[in-house]
Amino acid sequence: MRNNLIIGLFFCLACAQIITPLSMLTNRESILKSGAQFKFKTEPVDPYDAFRGRYVALRIQGNNAPAPQGVKLNSGQSVYALINNDEQGFAKITSLTTSRPAGSAYILAKVRYSAGERVVLDLPIDRYYMEEKSAPKAERLYREHSRRGNEDAYVVIRVKNGLVVIEALYVGGKRIEDAVKEDRK
Amino acid sequence: MNQKAIKWLYQEIPELVAKGILTQEAAGKIREYYGEIKTTGKRSITLIICGTAGALLIGLGIILLLAYNWEQFSRLTRAILSFAPLIIGQALALWVLLKRPQSTAFKEGTATFLSLMVGASIALISQTYNIPGEMGTFILTWMLLILPLVYLMQASLPAAIYLIGITSWAGSSWDNPLKTILFWPLAFMIAPHFIWALRREIYAIRATILSLIMAICVSCATGFSLGKTWPGAWVILFPTIFAIFYYLGSRKFIGLTSNWQRPLRVISGIGLFVLALQYTFRYIWQYLIAEHESYGFTTIQINDMRALPDHIITLILIAIAILFFYDTVKRKNLILSLFLVVPLLSILAYLLRKESVIIPLLIFNIYVFVLSISRIMQGIRSNNLAVVNTGMLLLAILIVARFFDSDISFIIKGLVFIAVGIGFLATNLFLMRRKEVLNEK
Repeated sequence: MRNNLIIGLFFCLACAQIITPLSMLTNRESILKSGAQFKFKTEPVDPYDAFRGRYVALRIQGNNAPAPQGVKLNSGQSVYALINNDEQGFAKITSLTTSRPAGSAYILAKVRYSAGERVVLDLPIDRYYMEEKSAPKAERLYREHSRRGNEDAYVVIRVKNGLVVIEALYVGGKRIEDAVKEDRK
Repeated sequence: MNQKAIKWLYQEIPELVAKGILTQEAAGKIREYYGEIKTTGKRSITLIICGTAGALLIGLGIILLLAYNWEQFSRLTRAILSFAPLIIGQALALWVLLKRPQSTAFKEGTATFLSLMVGASIALISQTYNIPGEMGTFILTWMLLILPLVYLMQASLPAAIYLIGITSWAGSSWDNPLKTILFWPLAFMIAPHFIWALRREIYAIRATILSLIMAICVSCATGFSLGKTWPGAWVILFPTIFAIFYYLGSRKFIGLTSNWQRPLRVISGIGLFVLALQYTFRYIWQYLIAEHESYGFTTIQINDMRALPDHIITLILIAIAILFFYDTVKRKNLILSLFLVVPLLSILAYLLRKESVIIPLLIFNIYVFVLSISRIMQGIRSNNLAVVNTGMLLLAILIVARFFDSDISFIIKGLVFIAVGIGFLATNLFLMRRKEVLNEK
């Protein structure tokens, strides 16, 4: 009897253990499939994550927006950042709101700090996982590129209901994985 | 019930029956009442250790392999890879629950493996979809998903992983007092298992490892999460934590006997002494009086509502420590109460520090002196050289420490060192003589 209870509870736990990663996966898959696509200019740097592997950290350019009128934003607070494309086809944060906007594309982000008229955000686009040896190379490739004056790294994302999934990272017009591969040759 | 005691009783029974103290019938009833002695043979202990170590290593190996981040794998392959190890781990655990519910080795091993695979699965998905976020959120999700395993499979290693996990989570969110304070309810969830493991004395090694990890984790978490709004809180907090450990580690109901089996008592005993010794130095109190300690990492003021959970848990811990002290005084257990008095002394010293820096110094110098003398006396009384020598050592450390922060001439320093050395030798010689005399008698 007691053993049956344990087995039953174990099944519940096993379900929770599967559902948690599964919901993470399906959420992202649905964003990749039907989310709106945007490009953000970025700057890759290379740290390390012991459990999840190596990644290039992304420093998104233009991660700030004018402070909304009459609302005081504390750091760590969640806000909705409305995004739009500029003339060159890169995404730009146009405004911030504290309530969920209807319709247009937006990202759920956190306030890093407010400085006068501007609010600097922590966007949920902060890392791009790569193979152990590729990550440092990717960073070096970017450095070489930017030295020649063309800071042309950008990240392609998809966004749906405020959630973001990164599709690819481009340096010098090529996917970072391909650029690293060519560099190896 | 103490298995060793039952074993002893069973050894005695034939003699008791032979001498007519017990009837054959009564002896039978005793055997019936206590049942068979449950012993774990060497083989099964080896099996437990090897099984869990193997599971731990394989699990960590899989995490590292997945962390390599294989670029050539498609998202589908990655999805399969995310779930395959998890499901294998679950299947193994389920098999053990169904077929080998009695085997500690199997349960510890599979539960450990499954615990690691839950982490591997979440990690690989985070990697595939470049999921942002701090380490903290990832670890907390992982830990909450393995916590029930501790109870369902009665496994201690997942409990240890859980403790380490929530401690590093508390550490990673140290700048957010409202978050780190949650360490305490999270840690409390493991308490029933901890008590259960301590009572199952036949698996002493398991209780030992678990209490060792618990002592280290809770000490770290105290630093991460408590007393963040008032400078110098650690002066009271750490003695409080160590005193609670010392009390728990010394109680008889925990069926561990030798010192290595009582990491709680050993760690906290050393901790209490080191703290008390530190408090005999002037600079600590001068620092505290000046309140140089700026707690720059939190913007919360001491009277802020958000600091309330911190205050409540701090007060509860101090109350527990004082209660334990009261209990030992009531039992007239002098040795124990001498250790448990440290939190009270540090509260006293902390409150009086602004009157004059001399008061805290006086309190702790006298305290360490009394402590070492009491050890020496106790050792002499019980003819135990080891205890005498610890006492002598404590005394010597105190004397040396005082020499470092005072302007005493080298001649006096030298003479005192020689005197302490002679004292050491004389006491040892005296005790050895006495032992010999006792042996001859």
